[in-house]
Amino acid sequence: MSDLQPALAQALAELLLATADDEFVIGFWDSEWTGIAPMIEEDVATSSIAQDEIGHARALYEMLATLTDADADAIAFGRESDAYRHASLLNHPCRDWAFSVARRYLYETADAVRLAALAGSAHEPLAQLAAKMRREETYHLLHVDAWLRRLAEGAPDGRQRLAAALSELWPDAQDVFAPLAGEAALVAERVLPESMPALRAAWLSRVRPILEPIAGALPDVAPSPNGRTRRTEDFAWLHGEFTLVARSQAGATW
Amino acid sequence: MSDLQAERVWEVFRQEAEGDPMIHSGNVNAPDEELALHYAREFYSRRGESQRLWVVARDAIAELDDPDLLRPPFDRSHKRPGGYIIKHKLEAAKQRASRADATE
Repeated sequence: MSDLQPALAQALAELLLATADDEFVIGFWDSEWTGIAPMIEEDVATSSIAQDEIGHARALYEMLATLTDADADAIAFGRESDAYRHASLLNHPCRDWAFSVARRYLYETADAVRLAALAGSAHEPLAQLAAKMRREETYHLLHVDAWLRRLAEGAPDGRQRLAAALSELWPDAQDVFAPLAGEAALVAERVLPESMPALRAAWLSRVRPILEPIAGALPDVAPSPNGRTRRTEDFAWLHGEFTLVARSQAGATW
Repeated sequence: MSDLQAERVWEVFRQEAEGDPMIHSGNVNAPDEELALHYAREFYSRRGESQRLWVVARDAIAELDDPDLLRPPFDRSHKRPGGYIIKHKLEAAKQRASRADATE
């Protein structure tokens, strides 16, 4: 259990849930490529990265479960689809390879900025977990960066699909930095050492120089107030998939 | 930029622990060296079983498999070291060398 003040513990729970749901949902979306990725080697790589993300989600759900005296599996699999708190960027299905690369690039870079901040968290268990996650995310970034460059500099069809996907996803990507309830308390206590707007500014200055030559000018769009609560039918379908086993044998252990 | 359609075969060598030899482990298909290393990592170390990996483009490997050169038809047993006792010869040579040192 936590020795944090109740209001701060509540705010930390929001932060953990948002971060965990991001990792969980992108992990399940990308695992949809298993068996059908462009080549067998890439199939293994994509599936393995998707597993890593679900592994990170698990660690975060367990931390949240300890904080709130709940069960990690129940948090992960026991909620209705509208109770998930991932960013709207992760509402979209995988569509084609270029779309998935565009989405992963936007997410991995935003996640990297967030994790760098969390690695300096005053909440020591979170700082340690973030530092551990960053070591795996280094490879995820290298991998998706390799694919972004290949599509951007490759044949026209891939380049056009990539550019269109980046433009379409750009507004929803801002929602990784959507404001959190209790954010002011988290920042004041340095549990989250930088505010979401500051993290977003750092992310923008990192990705704009890389993405604008590919996608053209990317507008200034503020994160949406419902950027972490807006859900789609696509996500409702994914939720049905990833809760299938848990629902079919409620309370089973494995 | 690499042509993603033109996959090449990359031979993968793996080192299990620091100081161990690099052992050929298999191969991966990839359009270029960067993705070949990523895929080698996934196939040969995603469970943390390698200390170091090398990838080498198969077409960069010089190969010799000519049986006339590698397994000539005549008896090769005289090429094996077992038939020659050189212990006494080596000792004599060492003694000559130490005498030469002493007289310098």
